[in-house]
Amino acid sequence: MEAIVTAGLTKRYGHGPRPIHLPGHGSAGEIRALEELSIEVHEGEIFGFLGPNGAGKSTTIRLLLGFLHPSAGSGSVFGLDIVRDSVAIRRRTGYLPGGIALYDTLTGERLLDYLADLTGRPPSRRAELCDRLELPAATLRRLVRDYSRGMRQKIGIVQALQHDPELAILDEPTEGLDPLMQRAFYGILDDLKAAGRTIFFSSHVLSEVERVCDRVAIIRRGRLVALEDVDALLDRRKRNVEMRVLGQAPALEGVPGVSSLAVSDGRITCQLEGDVGPFLAAIRDSRVVDLTIEPAHLEEAFLELYHDEAEVAG
Amino acid sequence: MNLALFIHTWRSQRIKILIVFVALTVWSALLPIVYGTFGQTFKEIIESGLIPEELTQFGGGDIFTLSGSIALGAIHPISLVLNSIFAVGFSTSAIAGERQRGTLEVLLARPISRRATYLTLLAATLSFVGAALLATTLGAIVGSAIGGVLDELAVNMLPLLWLNGFLLFGAIAALGLAASVSFDRLSPALGIAVGVVVVMYFLEVLGTFWPDAQGLQPYSLFHYFQPKTILEGTLSARDLALPAIVAVAAIAWALFEFPRRDLAAPS
Repeated sequence: MEAIVTAGLTKRYGHGPRPIHLPGHGSAGEIRALEELSIEVHEGEIFGFLGPNGAGKSTTIRLLLGFLHPSAGSGSVFGLDIVRDSVAIRRRTGYLPGGIALYDTLTGERLLDYLADLTGRPPSRRAELCDRLELPAATLRRLVRDYSRGMRQKIGIVQALQHDPELAILDEPTEGLDPLMQRAFYGILDDLKAAGRTIFFSSHVLSEVERVCDRVAIIRRGRLVALEDVDALLDRRKRNVEMRVLGQAPALEGVPGVSSLAVSDGRITCQLEGDVGPFLAAIRDSRVVDLTIEPAHLEEAFLELYHDEAEVAG
Repeated sequence: MNLALFIHTWRSQRIKILIVFVALTVWSALLPIVYGTFGQTFKEIIESGLIPEELTQFGGGDIFTLSGSIALGAIHPISLVLNSIFAVGFSTSAIAGERQRGTLEVLLARPISRRATYLTLLAATLSFVGAALLATTLGAIVGSAIGGVLDELAVNMLPLLWLNGFLLFGAIAALGLAASVSFDRLSPALGIAVGVVVVMYFLEVLGTFWPDAQGLQPYSLFHYFQPKTILEGTLSARDLALPAIVAVAAIAWALFEFPRRDLAAPS
């Protein structure tokens, strides 16, 4: 079953005349925050939602949670309509807003109690989460106004997950966390996934999406530009190859997957995409003294996609 | 209605409520004491013709009768400011203030509809307003007792006095909340609510000093706040109905507008 489905989900702002035409936006005073987004998030997966600031990530989340009303298209969460059944959706969801604002005059503990009371479900995971995120009781007894940015983020994570929601929507969840806490947080995500929970993970930190997500949607200027398995995306990525050979350079022109070939003084650089077999066969008879094939990173795949899109748009 | 939100709201305002309650009790007790102590002297001075009659009246109140002194205390700017702490200050910040701080997002991420959120905050605001007016009523009793004029006080009319004030400041609070749900930032909501209250108050007070401006008084909600008339045993249904109609209209607007609004990410 699908946890989230959107079909042509669209959000536009403003309808009045606007004298300046903004590139990538509508012309008649209309800002297209999201354009015909169609995605499906499977139950039990960690779904990455990638895009730079202003791409439409937060708009999508706010549509899913009923903060915004769609201009066109539709969406559902666990089969519940995002417009009609917003309250029922939020009953089954935990949400961490990006740059979360908290009630500064409450203690951490009182804040978590209050938000749990509002949710109407017992905070069954709070103790475990606080333990893993190193939020001791003494810290929770302090006023939120005295918390550091990282501690606020930890409280944000706990409030989103303490009632063990079926779906967690996390907007830039590791913002402000130190590397140790990031690792602890990834462990929490792994456990949630093992427990069958669905996680919608919005981020512009590509390395963490690569680290934790099963599938990723990449969004740009409100439009979906890619939606696939992280592994498949990485497989499609062109690896950077650099090698040094003695004697005759191997003939790499026309070898499947090889591009951007450059040869000078026994130093060969190229890009390699897909199966490495043909490339290895082509260099088999050469005297290779050094060979580096950089692993594919989502960041490069992401930048390539953006580059390609920009070229198409241009 | 959401009980957790209601309790949280009361808890967060408890110190402010206590301060306003005590201040209003003391203030409302003061004028009956002044009447009990100096009322006859003031009356003789006025009857001597030294001071024009218009200047002895302020918003329907005076210092020569117990009902007049209670009315003067209730309509005085000090009373207005104290009552407005909740009727204007809290009501306008209830939604717009949370929105500006970014905490509304955390609240509305819970399974509570916007209508339930609004109605809970409305109930909390009205309960604050009701408590403040209870202090006014309590102050009138205490002041009358201290001033030795308790036997002149129409105690049976005090519930109606409370109701009349509650409807006035309840209507103002409903207007404040309606402004609050309509804006993303506190300043426009607060500006509108304060502007409306100041203009209405000015129209009413102006009419008491300047007979030519009396025609403007019916446009002010304060014109329908008649403590002296009520304490003297007369009650006009209009004085209760008009503030109630304004409150209902503001509530209807908020219930229509708030669920339909787009709440974009806080900037």
